[in-house]
Amino acid sequence: MTLGGFILKNALRNKRRALLSVLSVGVSLFLFITLQVALRELTLPPEDLGSSLRIIVRNKVSLASPLPARQLQVIEKIPGIAAVTPFTFFGGLYKGDEKFTSFAQFAVDPARVKDVIVDAKMDPAEYAAWVADRTLCIVGLDTARRYNLKRGDRMQFTGTFYPCDLDLRIAGFYHGTADDRTVFFHHRYLDEASGNPGTVGCWWALASSAEEAALVTARINEAFANSSAEVRAETERAFQLGFISMWANIKVLIGSICTVVVFTLLLVTVSTMSMAIRERFRELAVLKALGFRRRELLGFILAESFGLSMLGAILGAGGAWLLYRNLDIQKLANGVFLAFEVTPRMLGMAFAIAALLGILSAIAPALSVARTSVVEGLRTLD
Amino acid sequence: MPAVFTLLVQSFLGLTALGIVAVFLTAHFSAVPVKYNLKSVFIRWRSTVATVVGIALVVLVYVLLQSLAVGIEKSNASTGDPRNILIARKGATAESSSLVTRAQLRTLQYFEEIERNAAGDPVISADVLTLASLPRKGQGGEANVLLRGVTPRGMELRPQVHLVAGRWFSPGRREIVVSRKLAGRFANFDVGDTFKTGPTTLTVVGWLDGSGSAYDSECWMDADESRSVFEREMYSTFLVRPKSPEAATNLIRRIESDKRLQLRAESETGYYQKQTLTAAPIKWLAGFLALTMSIGAVFAAMNTMYAAVGARTREIGTLRVLGFHRRNVIATFLLEGILLAMLGGALGCLISLKWNGYTTATLSVESFSETVFSFTITPTLAAQGMFFAAALGFWGTLLPAVRAARLPVISALKAL
Repeated sequence: MTLGGFILKNALRNKRRALLSVLSVGVSLFLFITLQVALRELTLPPEDLGSSLRIIVRNKVSLASPLPARQLQVIEKIPGIAAVTPFTFFGGLYKGDEKFTSFAQFAVDPARVKDVIVDAKMDPAEYAAWVADRTLCIVGLDTARRYNLKRGDRMQFTGTFYPCDLDLRIAGFYHGTADDRTVFFHHRYLDEASGNPGTVGCWWALASSAEEAALVTARINEAFANSSAEVRAETERAFQLGFISMWANIKVLIGSICTVVVFTLLLVTVSTMSMAIRERFRELAVLKALGFRRRELLGFILAESFGLSMLGAILGAGGAWLLYRNLDIQKLANGVFLAFEVTPRMLGMAFAIAALLGILSAIAPALSVARTSVVEGLRTLD
Repeated sequence: MPAVFTLLVQSFLGLTALGIVAVFLTAHFSAVPVKYNLKSVFIRWRSTVATVVGIALVVLVYVLLQSLAVGIEKSNASTGDPRNILIARKGATAESSSLVTRAQLRTLQYFEEIERNAAGDPVISADVLTLASLPRKGQGGEANVLLRGVTPRGMELRPQVHLVAGRWFSPGRREIVVSRKLAGRFANFDVGDTFKTGPTTLTVVGWLDGSGSAYDSECWMDADESRSVFEREMYSTFLVRPKSPEAATNLIRRIESDKRLQLRAESETGYYQKQTLTAAPIKWLAGFLALTMSIGAVFAAMNTMYAAVGARTREIGTLRVLGFHRRNVIATFLLEGILLAMLGGALGCLISLKWNGYTTATLSVESFSETVFSFTITPTLAAQGMFFAAALGFWGTLLPAVRAARLPVISALKAL
């Protein structure tokens, strides 16, 4: 029998225990990966090509306060701006949803939005049809798939912030942005339905180059300083991060749960693994008597516990990776989660934890094996 | 699908509860002394401690997360006066997204269901709610704060809110009274401080306390001042006091059926109780974590108990020879497992108490502003945690216990 064969035989001798140990490591690492993915998804907004160029202009008071529509003429003339469109969050309830609709609806200027959301790919004929008719809308492909929508279908929304409802028809679909869930419709439709208030929610602009972006935001802020509607212009990235920071302590909470999960896992697994070795104390003493050295015994123990926890990691972390790759997470989580991507970094962390686990659970029994004399070991009953 | 799932979960929990009760009953009548279990537990103290602490942590995570959800719900549930009626625009999902007009106010003033005060005026308050993005203390970034423009009548209708420092704002001045709990989280919220929102500078003149209600997440200023500062033509909501409960029912029916008004009326307390969107994902997370962590914990507990059974093979043989039945052996091991797990559960609950009452905050999904609430550990929640622990012990020990009972007596006695 080879050395490897000996270790394998030993590890699998108590098949039930080996299985239970592997499974408890696996389940915990699966949980760890799931929490990490969720945390990343909630705190790291998706990016596309235009992200570094896009600038979002909102009312300085808060996102909920509108901006006067006349600001458009001023923003357009600011040097370094390639394109700008009104961008008003409608926040309606989609027909059938009772409390919460997970995709956004934005009122935009169809002629201008194409040059701001540069990543969106649309059929030219569909786009032309949309621009021409103010009751039409363009729908993100993810949302279209989720609700099984076809061209010409009706989409009805009940206003929650706006005292009006929307009754739109689908002109076509877009894809290719970081978040293909949104519905875009004519700002003129919203203006008419809400009694022409002469306001917009935000302005979305595109800087002519990434170097210009920082300068442009400063120029926009300056242009409206000390006016009745002061603005806050920031890059899309800064805007999204600001949005996320409003969630406050929830982020810390999920982070600490991750830590507790890992700690619990360490504790329990270390205990069971050490138990497996302790049960074999007598055999180890026999091996010692046969002339195996301490470091060889340590090698046996380490190889076994390391192997078991690695197997757990392959099952748990690999399982999570496979599962989230093949799962239609948007449909399952009601559109709350977008990609649910397991990154190589998370996999690396999971395997590092498993490695640590393997080593830690070998230390205590290895130490006591090293310390005990052969005679004592042979006498052990436990 | 969810209905079937709920049913499954419920029957599973019911089964577990039955099992636990059966174990206690059998153990009570079979008279394998509990002392035997207690002593066994402490002889193998290393694995006992690991199991107990592991279960304690699982229960801790569950109880703490649920206590967050309970805290949010409690803050909403204790908001408002049951006699008040809140009137908002049809379709609006939050007070801050509702818009009501002066014309509607004029119409409502003549409704005879509404109480009159000593001066003969209807008890009706038209509030203006706005969001202001303000800097947090330290490096916390900015967050939205709900500013309520309120009338003297609106203050009378909300006796839960009282002043704890400084003075109330004076009408016609750019003054504001902030919540004491928000003052701990936002910059420039001390009495005497000033902060800018848009082009306007507001002076903090006092601190309010909402007695644990949702008003703890608000700042109050004069309604007309708020409309001028934020250039608002319209009000957000009306809060009224009907003459009697019957008048309240009539009033709600009258407003809802009036097609011209396009308003929705409901009791103020009912409105706040329906604000469940913020707590829902936390509850979901708690459930998901409880499920996955408990699977891992059950595997680990099974491992420990299998080892315990293995090491005590001779004892089990002895018990059987002494005349104890198989069911007694099962019961005694299950009892041991459950007691061990409940010890962990108690430890978890005790640790969680450290956070009880600790104030934290998040973004309210409904009002889109910072909402303060406290970790709230109720006796029900602690009982849930204990039951959860007992269930872990039960399922973790069941198979090892059955194995112990099945050991043939003779070979068990021969075992080393």
